[in-house]
Amino acid sequence: MAKQEKFQPSEKAQAFLASVQKGKYKREIITGLGKFLDKKVPQEMQGFYSQSELQMLVDLRGTNQDVEARMPVKITRHYFDLAKTSAAIQTLVKASPKETYDLEGAPDPGKQMDYSPVEGLIHKYELGLIYVASTCSAHCRFCYREELIAKKDVARPDGTIAPKGLAQIPDIVDYIVRHNKAVAANGGWHPDTGREKLREILMSGGDPMVLGNNNIAEWWSALADAGIESIRLGTKELAFYPDRFDETFFDMVDKFHEAYPSTQIRLMVHFNHPDEFLAKDADGNYIDDPDGGLEWVPATKRSIRELGKREWISIDNQAPIIKGINGDPDALRIMQRELRRNRVENHYFFCGRDIIGHRAFNLPIEEVWNILNESQKGLSGVESHARLSITHYLGKTEVAAVTNEPLAGIPGTENGFVVLKLLRGAADAPDRGKVAIVGRNPDAIWFSGYDDRVIYDEAGLFSHLNEQQEEKPMLQQA
Amino acid sequence: MTFVVGENCIQCKDTACVEVCPVDCFYEGPNFLVINPDECIDCEDCVPVCPEEAIYSEDDLPAEQAIFLDLNAELADMWPNITEKKDPLPDAKKWSGVDGKLKHLQR
Repeated sequence: MAKQEKFQPSEKAQAFLASVQKGKYKREIITGLGKFLDKKVPQEMQGFYSQSELQMLVDLRGTNQDVEARMPVKITRHYFDLAKTSAAIQTLVKASPKETYDLEGAPDPGKQMDYSPVEGLIHKYELGLIYVASTCSAHCRFCYREELIAKKDVARPDGTIAPKGLAQIPDIVDYIVRHNKAVAANGGWHPDTGREKLREILMSGGDPMVLGNNNIAEWWSALADAGIESIRLGTKELAFYPDRFDETFFDMVDKFHEAYPSTQIRLMVHFNHPDEFLAKDADGNYIDDPDGGLEWVPATKRSIRELGKREWISIDNQAPIIKGINGDPDALRIMQRELRRNRVENHYFFCGRDIIGHRAFNLPIEEVWNILNESQKGLSGVESHARLSITHYLGKTEVAAVTNEPLAGIPGTENGFVVLKLLRGAADAPDRGKVAIVGRNPDAIWFSGYDDRVIYDEAGLFSHLNEQQEEKPMLQQA
Repeated sequence: MTFVVGENCIQCKDTACVEVCPVDCFYEGPNFLVINPDECIDCEDCVPVCPEEAIYSEDDLPAEQAIFLDLNAELADMWPNITEKKDPLPDAKKWSGVDGKLKHLQR
């Protein structure tokens, strides 16, 4: 996608940008199965895929079950070193024919494109999400941004079809400024959409940490100058390549803070499993840290420590719970405890989205709730802040409770019920806190699994069912 | 892995690649561009925009251009970073697709 006219940073931003240094990185990335097939990977990595595993994947090439076309294979050296002793990490990063056995699911169950007013921007809530990079240092097999990473065509609400483009600074700044002006002139709500002021922008992708310091600095200063109060940055780089958080990065970060002292940086990190950051002994067990807790991988520890020193940076972990990777209460318990001990807040766990090609990764909603609930037994209150979220197109929804007992006298609850709570509406705030109650369906992996057993729906999560019913008489009239 | 600028760029230097690179990893010499292999993140965005089809994945680099892998690394250390698109060299069209341009490479 061609960039438009060059963005003109403010004088303050220019002075900051002139001070930014470039880093040197040795990610030692391996991209594509071809490298494994042709034995062009370092000696040590050659057994990562067995010959039969490679052959099964090669046999799918060019078919509608082509695993590489679904999501290109990519791994850093650091992540490979972690994977050597971790079945969970291997499942996370190794391509498998299972990925395309079942191609059921929707292309975009969160209806993201309905919320995209400008290329590369998803505007929900008071938060805007921007795509600033179309790749990561390694690729999670369960990634739900596969359309961006694998550069697939996406259908938009206006019917056009094209690959998702990245956000461009001038477009995004222009949108923020116009939106916020309209909100201010209308008493705090946008006259057309009802949305509030855009206070927060989430930089996503891909992984923004693959960008150079100068690119990140350009975004941060432009967003701060546009009036954004908090900049979030979603990254898995602490797992894939923790050395990205080097001296040159922190030098940039500190100079940004000098120039824009009231702008918060909120780092949204992504650890799925404690194997991604904990050191292991020769037997593959975690190691007690004499100072308390468990010993970390040194590079990850160093990066987390440096981030944690800066009180204007918050660090929150959020991760999906994925079959074969982290559907394990014990692993999740250790992860939540160790993260919190190292200044990382446990923010959300997610149910996987019911996207095409994701059935191999999805666990049923009620099972995920149980896994998380079990994991939080034995955690202290501050360690167990994480909630289980599932992204309805109407807004972010918490799976608040799953019961085993029927509600006396209420049909449909014979096997127990599930309480869903809308954390916030995607368009505006008023529906926050409203709930829906549905009868249990242990196989449900998405809201649609409850369509036939809705008991109470204050939140309107199943209102589309009523709409369809109401349409019938009109069709009969016609 | 990295992407590599090959021979077709010499005497052309269109710079469309520079404009799309998310990590600004192109470096500019008098009549050639190179990719810094330590900075390239394998996003492939530069490959389709190059009018000379001069950029290859390291894996797909034609055997006769194998030398360009090291050449990119070496020259990226010497040359200045280029982050903004500029006009191609004046004789770019004349040199487009000409074989054996390596001998014209200026350092």
